[in-house]
Parts: sequence; structure tokens; C-alpha cells
Amino acid sequence: MSLAKPAMRGLLGKRLRFHLPIAFALSLVAAAAFKYGVTEPRKQAYADFYKQYDATKEFNNMREAGIFQSVRPTGE
Amino acid sequence: MQASTETVFLYPPTPLSARCYSHAKVETDEEFDARWVTYFSKPDIDAWELKKGMNTLIGYDLVPEPKILDSALRACRRLNDLASAIRILEAVKDKSGPHKDIYPYLIQELQPTLTELGISTPEDLGMDIL
Repeated sequence: MSLAKPAMRGLLGKRLRFHLPIAFALSLVAAAAFKYGVTEPRKQAYADFYKQYDATKEFNNMREAGIFQSVRPTGE
Repeated sequence: MQASTETVFLYPPTPLSARCYSHAKVETDEEFDARWVTYFSKPDIDAWELKKGMNTLIGYDLVPEPKILDSALRACRRLNDLASAIRILEAVKDKSGPHKDIYPYLIQELQPTLTELGISTPEDLGMDIL
């Protein structure tokens, strides 16, 4: 029983035509997922933190904690 | 984006002559095969030409037709190069990649030539296992 002739040309081309669009699409999805899952929440977290940030108050807290060399806590 | 009206008409099937491809004449599969059969049929082909031909042929996105391989194997016979003959069989098996139906078909088609020229397959020699 003899074997039929299989396809022998353009096999890589066929594979690439199928897989490359999927690869590009998945890469874009991965990039989008990272952007909206990680970087945007992170940026938002920083923005939220600094929206109500009172630099002077925080400075005075740090001063009272005694971590500065240039300015001692009030009362010393 | 472009303001031209041509962008609308880029994707519907256009006849070959209207596409942005080079106007070089495309070689048919039969012409390609015939060219390679002729290449390996040169009576006084030398070892370099055999190796160069095989390496070039293996670089293409295709598994060579039995008739091309037959011509190459006969060139190996003229050059008394059994090693290259067996290597050619290994090469086309590797070239088939995941398509496991190609190599058995090639061996089937080449069997008369292999018997005539006394070429053992890698399987016969136990060389197909790693």
C-alpha cells in the first residue's frame, strides 16, 4: 500500500502565517495587561498619595523623630 | 492618517499585475525542480558544487522533490561519496520538521534508487536514534 504524496512546499510559510499574527496579538495583549494591571494602578497610587500630601506636616513629624542632622527637634 | 482615497482600495483582491510586487517573473514549481535536477545531473559535478547545491537547497522553505534527491544521490555516486548520500537522507528527514509523513514518502519514492546505488538509510544503519 503506497503512501500518498504529502505537502512538501511552503510549510514554514504556512506555519508563520498562522502563528505570527497570534504571537503579535498575544504580545500586545501582554503589554496592555501589564500597562493596565501594573503601571497604571501604580501611577494612580502615587497620585492618590500625593494629592493630600502635606509636606510641611511630614517634615515636622520627621524633625520630631530626630532623623535630621541639620535641624534638631523643637525643644532641644 | 492618510487623506487619500487609495487607502480604501488596498485590500480587495487585486490582480497580480496591479499589486505592489516586483515585476520579476515567478518561477513555477516544475521549473524550480527541473533546474535543480539539471544542477545535480552535471556529469563532472565536483564535491564543492554538490555540497553548495545541497546547502542552498536545504535553505529553501520546501522539502526537495524525490526527483531532485534522486539526481543528488546519483551525483554522490559519481563522486564516490556515500557519506554525503546518507547525509542527504538525514537532512531531508530533519527538514520535514514536525511533518512525519514526508520522510516515509520520500524513502518510498527513492527506494529503487537506493537499492540500485547501494545506499543504506540512516535507519538501516541504526543512525536514526540519538
